[in-house]
Amino acid sequence: MNIWETAEKYHTGNLNSAEQEALHKRIASDPAFAAEFQEHIHLLQSLENRAKHKQFRTILTDIRKGQSGKQSTIRTIPLTTHYWRTAAVAASIAIITTLSTFWMIKHSDKQRVSQYRMLRKEMESIRNSQNALISTVNDSKVSAPVVSASFSGSGIALANNGYFVTNYHVVEGADSVYMQSRSGSFYKANLIAFDKRNDVAILKVEDKKFNFSKTDLPYSFAPGKNKIGTGVFTLSFPDNEVIYNEGYISTKNGYEGDSLQYLLNIPSNPGYSGAPVVTAAGSIIGIVSANNNENTLSTYAISSAAIYELTKTLPIQIKLPKTTQLKKLSREQQIEKIEPFTCSVKVYKKS
Amino acid sequence: MYQAIQTEQQLLDALANSNRQATELIYRQHSKIVIAWIVQNGGDAVDAEDIFQEAMVILFEKSQSASFRLSCKIGTYLFAVSKHLWYKKWKRGQRTVLGDDFTQEKAYEDDIVGHEERELHFEQLDQALDKIGEPCRTLLRAFYMQNKSMQDIAAQFGYTNADNAKTQKYKCLNRLRKLFYEA
Repeated sequence: MNIWETAEKYHTGNLNSAEQEALHKRIASDPAFAAEFQEHIHLLQSLENRAKHKQFRTILTDIRKGQSGKQSTIRTIPLTTHYWRTAAVAASIAIITTLSTFWMIKHSDKQRVSQYRMLRKEMESIRNSQNALISTVNDSKVSAPVVSASFSGSGIALANNGYFVTNYHVVEGADSVYMQSRSGSFYKANLIAFDKRNDVAILKVEDKKFNFSKTDLPYSFAPGKNKIGTGVFTLSFPDNEVIYNEGYISTKNGYEGDSLQYLLNIPSNPGYSGAPVVTAAGSIIGIVSANNNENTLSTYAISSAAIYELTKTLPIQIKLPKTTQLKKLSREQQIEKIEPFTCSVKVYKKS
Repeated sequence: MYQAIQTEQQLLDALANSNRQATELIYRQHSKIVIAWIVQNGGDAVDAEDIFQEAMVILFEKSQSASFRLSCKIGTYLFAVSKHLWYKKWKRGQRTVLGDDFTQEKAYEDDIVGHEERELHFEQLDQALDKIGEPCRTLLRAFYMQNKSMQDIAAQFGYTNADNAKTQKYKCLNRLRKLFYEA
């Protein structure tokens, strides 16, 4: 092994015990070598730190660009330069939808298999993010993995003026997030607060004039936990359509006994993450977050208690509605009332 | 039990790992007040944002040490460091005699001096990397700055395998070391 190889291994902590011992002996007996070796390590450290700093400064410049864009009062920017990203997302969604429709008609059986895989992938990413959290605590030097893909999830309004909630894993690592409203328009949204452990994120539409609807939120957020057997329905918005599903609470605690989750018996698919889970009375008890990769009817939901907790940390307080206006309505009417407050969350990541 | 992830220490841990979300949250929460202060004290918006960005880098540097614990709030720290940086910039420009309250903004002198030394050190490293010549310059940049694997580099530079590329990398490191320490 030459000195650089040793220094590299030492620097990354990959020397085995025999190599380590040999190195220590040589350092102790040969001061000239010790000084030289020190210089090698120092240079490697400098290179690593230089790279880290560069990366951090790139992030800062990126954020700054986004901020100054927001500050400008002129909004009549040519479509080609400013909205190309939105347009690209919209166009690709259109293409994907068209293609997948043909594909679905032709290969309805195969699709089930591929959806199953996608789910699995999502589950893995949740597990990874949990692992990542643990490793951040243990070792602050682990660098975040770079993912190069676009994802989509669902969301539900917390306040009429553009606040909405989704899962943290939906927006994690995003360079930019766009919210697709029920009317089909895209809005840039910013992350306001997140809770990685409970997998909740609160976002707000950047446009200050934005409102989900002319009326106020018709539903409430359940302050406590609901009982086993409570009938629930979900309204997910993975692509261009709102999708309705119904089921019931099957256990009061979620994944590995997490008390801030529910286990539901309700169908779920990729893109359902963040979809509201609503009771017959029109109270939101939580949001869909993941499902069992072997049974798409076993769906995990994050309870509304976790959403309440996160709203408390917001710089500007928002009050979640505690009474519902949907009690006496038929299911069709309830859906019609909730629909304008659902949204699709499009996440864009640089490759 | 419930534990909010967003304590300041957790935000700083995420910042230390260059987590974009955490960085953006801190940026959004604290930049406005700092920029407003600098503009009020004779800076323009660009100066102000430059200063705030520098303060963010200093916070990032501090967060790199595993034992680091901030003794005050993130906002307080960023504000104090920004004020100090702005004060230094004024002094360098010597555009006017400073008021009393200005000269007192000397908080976190050590952090700022450490930062300046580090920036100088990085500049020297960059200069050494510039002087080293091809193919070393591109090779070292690809491996250390762009995080490319030795396989990718071998393919890019036309080496027959990763080991050959590695040998070349070590030769380049030797040259870099000479340039860097003997300058």
